[in-house]
Amino acid sequence: MGSDAVVFPENIPEGLKPPAILVGEVNAGGLDDQVHSHLYRRPPKAWFIAFAITSTFMLTGFGCIGYTFWLGIGAWGNNIPVGWAFDIINFVFWIGIGHAGTLISAILLLFRARWRNAISRFSEAMTIFAVICAVIFPLIHVGRPWLAFFLFPYPNQRALWPNFRSPLIWDVFAVNTYFAVSLLFWYLGLMPDMASLRDRTLGKVRKVIYSVLALGWRGAASHWQHYERAYLIIAGLATGLVLSVHSVVSFDFAVSLVPGWHMTIFPPYFVAGAIFAGFAMVVLALVVVRTTMNLKNLITDYHLEVMNKVILTCACLMGYSYLLEAFTAWYSMNSYIHHTFMQYIGGTYWWAGWTTITCNILIPQLLWFRRFRRSYTGMVFVAIAVTVGMWFERFVIIVSSLHQDFLPSSWHIYKPTIVDFGILFGTFGLFFTLVLLFARVLPVIATTEMKMILPGSQPLHKGGSHE
Amino acid sequence: MTRELNDNDLAEAFADLPVDGISRRRFLSLLSASAALGFGVSCSRIDRGSIVPYTKRPDEIIPGVEEYYASTFQEGLVTYGVLVKTREGRPIHVEGNSEHLFSQGKTSLRSIGDLLGLYDPDRLRAPSYKGAPAGWADAEKAITHALSDARLMDKPVLFLTNAIVSPAQKALLFDLKLALPSLLHVAWEPNLPQSQIHATRMLFGKAVLPRLHFDRAQLILALQSDFLGADSAAAAYVQAFSTHRSPANPSESMSRLCVVEGNMTLTGANADQRLQLNPWKMLPLVFVLVRLLNELHSIPLPEGLTADDLREFEPGGMLRALGISPIVVKRLAEDLARAGKSSLVLAGDAVVPETHMACTLLNRMLGAEGNTVEMSTTPSSPGLLTYAELEKLLKEAAQGKFALGIFWGTNPAYSFPNAPLWKQAISKIPETYRIGLYEDETALDCLWRLPEHHWLESWGDFESASDFIGLRQPAIGAIHDTRQAEDLLLSCLRQMKMPASRSYLEYLKNRWQADVYPVGSPASFEAFWNASLHNGGAKRERRPSPSPVVNRDEVKKAILAASKPPTANNVDHLPESMEVDLVLSPGAGVFDGRYANNGWLNELSDPVTKATWGNPILISIADAEYFGLMHPFNGRDDLKEQDILEIFTNAGKIEAPVIIQPGQMPGVASIALGYGRQTGTVATGIGANAYRLIDPSSRNPFLIQKARIKRKGAGERHAIPKTQVHNRMEGHDLARSWTLAEYSQKLKEKKEREYVSLIPDQKFPGHKWGMVVDLSACVGCSACAIACQSENNIPVVGPERVLEGRAMHWIRIDRYYEGDLRDPKVLHQPMFCQHCDNAPCEIVCPVNATVHSSDGLNQMVYNRCVGTRYCSNNCPFKVRRFNFFDYTSMKKEPESLVYNPEVTVRPRGVMEKCTLCIQRINNTRQKAKIENRQIIDGEIRPACVAACPSGALVFGDLNNTESRVARLSRADRNYRVLEELGIKPSMSYLADISNPANKG
Repeated sequence: MGSDAVVFPENIPEGLKPPAILVGEVNAGGLDDQVHSHLYRRPPKAWFIAFAITSTFMLTGFGCIGYTFWLGIGAWGNNIPVGWAFDIINFVFWIGIGHAGTLISAILLLFRARWRNAISRFSEAMTIFAVICAVIFPLIHVGRPWLAFFLFPYPNQRALWPNFRSPLIWDVFAVNTYFAVSLLFWYLGLMPDMASLRDRTLGKVRKVIYSVLALGWRGAASHWQHYERAYLIIAGLATGLVLSVHSVVSFDFAVSLVPGWHMTIFPPYFVAGAIFAGFAMVVLALVVVRTTMNLKNLITDYHLEVMNKVILTCACLMGYSYLLEAFTAWYSMNSYIHHTFMQYIGGTYWWAGWTTITCNILIPQLLWFRRFRRSYTGMVFVAIAVTVGMWFERFVIIVSSLHQDFLPSSWHIYKPTIVDFGILFGTFGLFFTLVLLFARVLPVIATTEMKMILPGSQPLHKGGSHE
Repeated sequence: MTRELNDNDLAEAFADLPVDGISRRRFLSLLSASAALGFGVSCSRIDRGSIVPYTKRPDEIIPGVEEYYASTFQEGLVTYGVLVKTREGRPIHVEGNSEHLFSQGKTSLRSIGDLLGLYDPDRLRAPSYKGAPAGWADAEKAITHALSDARLMDKPVLFLTNAIVSPAQKALLFDLKLALPSLLHVAWEPNLPQSQIHATRMLFGKAVLPRLHFDRAQLILALQSDFLGADSAAAAYVQAFSTHRSPANPSESMSRLCVVEGNMTLTGANADQRLQLNPWKMLPLVFVLVRLLNELHSIPLPEGLTADDLREFEPGGMLRALGISPIVVKRLAEDLARAGKSSLVLAGDAVVPETHMACTLLNRMLGAEGNTVEMSTTPSSPGLLTYAELEKLLKEAAQGKFALGIFWGTNPAYSFPNAPLWKQAISKIPETYRIGLYEDETALDCLWRLPEHHWLESWGDFESASDFIGLRQPAIGAIHDTRQAEDLLLSCLRQMKMPASRSYLEYLKNRWQADVYPVGSPASFEAFWNASLHNGGAKRERRPSPSPVVNRDEVKKAILAASKPPTANNVDHLPESMEVDLVLSPGAGVFDGRYANNGWLNELSDPVTKATWGNPILISIADAEYFGLMHPFNGRDDLKEQDILEIFTNAGKIEAPVIIQPGQMPGVASIALGYGRQTGTVATGIGANAYRLIDPSSRNPFLIQKARIKRKGAGERHAIPKTQVHNRMEGHDLARSWTLAEYSQKLKEKKEREYVSLIPDQKFPGHKWGMVVDLSACVGCSACAIACQSENNIPVVGPERVLEGRAMHWIRIDRYYEGDLRDPKVLHQPMFCQHCDNAPCEIVCPVNATVHSSDGLNQMVYNRCVGTRYCSNNCPFKVRRFNFFDYTSMKKEPESLVYNPEVTVRPRGVMEKCTLCIQRINNTRQKAKIENRQIIDGEIRPACVAACPSGALVFGDLNNTESRVARLSRADRNYRVLEELGIKPSMSYLADISNPANKG
């Protein structure tokens, strides 16, 4: 190659420059200082206010769960025919929220998307918290929660053995695997950071805690070698999970014969929806985090924009899925499915159906405009809409399908009770309480991974030949 | 028989074995208990009830083996022979007694449901005086003293009872009157066919309630008569009616039911031909039919009627005035003429009395009298009062005529319309005694409250029909400190130094020895008595009764009444209100109010409206639209279901939520009696007391002309708990109904396509239980639902839970309206677990709590169920029921004694559903095995099958190709609901066949 082909970075025209994933001068030490500083400082007043609010919601939710245990499932609005309602809606909703984290940490790692490094820690943490919120529901939605352990295949003298034909058993395995792998992955990524915290911290107690958590990490080359290999393997495992977990969750519906549930489109449709909702939640949280924790230089507008693009893509996939549902209803010539679809858009819960379509399909179309992708108001508006829309989507699928199925004689309206809402908002309280705590005790940005994309950390080839 | 052994039992059995201080099990249970506590879940429900064995077992009782006692249930003038199933000395179920001539193995749903009344915690438990407890000795002394006093001073005594159809009671009354000539005995039954009593008294000089033979009828013309539904004798009528209702092939003869009615009744719902006509206009219609039959079919007019009498009834003009198509009526006359003596014309009670006269004449003319209508008097009661007579009596009482009042059973304080008059009357009776089951409205007005036995604790005999005398025997000793009223009266007689037996049983036996025991019988009286007790009664020689002679003057008057041009449509528009003709009928479950404290019967959904717990007012679609347009409020110009209406009559005013009833005649409203009670834990505050609307002086108290209805407040509403809220099939082929013509057409068509499946068929070696439901025989009476509730310990959930969609019935009777809602075709379809071979509930249960048995049953394993409700979601029939709450722990003693010990009482959080009465299947199976024989077809009868009066439910072994159920499942009319889902239900249905009149 001739020397006229050499283009130095400073000569790259503005429009062709790779977008900034860092703003300003960031070096390794400064990065640690910046990210870790929040762990030593007394939290600001806003944090305490937020914590008070979220923990109030959380405790109310726990109170409602306790009331349910005391009284029975009758405390909720569920009935016959609507055997599942807020319980399973919330379960699917929260499991879906978790998916963004896994996608960011695993799939994007394998695809070597460098922009993921800044947000991977945070979104992984959100995965863990979302799964914690999600697993509450399978536990409490059963009529006799004290016997919920019957769902686990464990040797016992009562000849109890789960029914492996039931999608609920698949759920048990899928969710458990998901939680275990996510936790492992998250913790593995935390280890070098723990070591770095251990080395830098002065408080005695903290030092002990970080030392334990760092598991003797010394930063030796062999450590890094094992670490990288393990990280890659688990990322590989988690990649499968991104697709499988929500597919399995969708089997709860697709395997049954309820009109509106019994559809082959459900697994991909659910996975897309999960990533969709998860990204919206990550955007919501990051907007707050990068502002309040002074991380604008690490989590840049570019990150947000990329995520908004993912959201837009998912919105289009969702639109396709909805259209396919309509197509199935028409093409199958099955009057029951047809009736259920017409119920979605024009029945008892027509408002839920149209909320879903508006929030999930129409509003995200704003993100075609760069202005919206980059504006806080725009993206927060879209993210909230998507969160609401995805919750209502599950409402439509579960409640709207169940309340009018085969025999018109058994059709019955469903009305949630205040306890249903209490538990729903309680899990939001739990989720954000955990997020707030996380932001105070652990580095919200994986400094180790960030250092890998700092200028100069990667071999930079400045052209010319290797003589 | 089989008690489920669960882990709790085991844990309890071993928990307290002392092994070195602390047993392993103890340790483990402590460990798990603390773990459970730590988990924050401490809801373990272990039954700590102790089981104590008999120290001395009564000879006849074998624990775990049921005993049956034949007895008799009475409701008004109707009695049913029943078999009371007892376990360990307590009645747990009531079934029909097949030895009984009148009821022939079937019994009314209320007799099944009244079992709960035996264990009602609200029952009076000991005598009381002015509300303070008093002993029986004091009570007896007081009443004897009062009676002796009355005898000495010749003071008039009022003795008000229920209808008395018992020969022994009649004899006892006679003895009482002998001892106390000043005693006035009267009987008050608020729901008797008052209008018919009026009519027959006028026509024949005495009340005659004919016995009807629906099994002999080919054409039934029912005028405003709900003989399949509200009538006390409905169970017997349904049984007889259904004999000609399910043809095996299109050429088989089938009866035709033509119903002319104003409101929508269960009978109308089952009609082959239903004409809407205002009840006031029934009378001229009958005379038009008489004239048509005479003129066109030259059937001679009956005695007492001349052609000249009928000159007013020129069919064209009269029918136009009535608003009925002359062609339809001419066809009807043709049908009647063809059926001749196999026709049966009957009228209900919400008609003017003359209608009954006219029907009697029409039956006579057709020759039906003596065949389908037997004028031999069915049991009647001495001293039966009409509303007007009771009013007169109470007016006398209010003037202080009576020194002493004894009120036994009947509850006039509730059921007599004019409450102030009652209060006045009772306050003028210085000494009042209440003999009854409850502290009800009448009891509250009386000084002495004396608790009596429930019928299941009592002795008695009943003249059920002229040729059968039924016996009642106690199936349990008295639960509370109660007495049988007859015993009390006998003891009074004894203390008044009159010759009297020591007990009512002795009295009864003496009377039977004298009157019933056949003279010259080879068997001893004891043997005869024991045999009669065993059979539930004894046959008697049929006493021929001549046709009563018609009073010609009354016929003339009736014609005069009929020939007055019928009043124009009564709908009137006064400000903000509307006038309607109001039809009153007994509540489907609570009847005249006597069962209002019974949860089972309250929660039984009305067969037509599907409403439970209350009495909404039913108005027609046209009236609702008109009303809404005339009296809009808040910009809303429609009247919606559940809006509260105020109903005014001359007599009083009540409020009730509205149901807009398809098939209701415009201008006609209807409401059920028996609600709005003011006492009783369950009954209080449920519905409104429609008796308050009755004008006691009316000759047809159950038909109120020009009741005014008005919307209460601005959109005040009262939720109506219904077990079914959607009325249409939405184009699906669920409950099939064909006319006879369509039936033969279907046979000519090609067979329906077979559904093929990739999944291999399930194998059922040995038995495969299944059921066939004959929709053509089923009338939708809901007796099966009550029997199921009693047999399977199904909880009552209350109106709020029914509203939330959490009713627990294992059987529901789906009711669909098809066609024009103003004149719909009504379909009934009993729906319960279909026991699918490829059951969708089974594959989705994560814990194997619902599994298939090798004999084809879909089973629920309650101990395994954790309550995910997934099975219910995946059940296309939605017949699974979930225990959203703990429905059992709030039971008050002795209510829990009603439980069938063979059926697990389900805890909170567990799914349940129809088991096809697996306990009965297994009992029979064991019995057959012990006796080393095959199970006989028809030997196993699940509770619903045993209770079904129409025989629409057939249970048996589908693997036995010769069994009835297998033969019916191969019948032409057989189909399976939602067969296209590939779930292969074991239950199948036979399409409903109707026999409508030819058109045009």
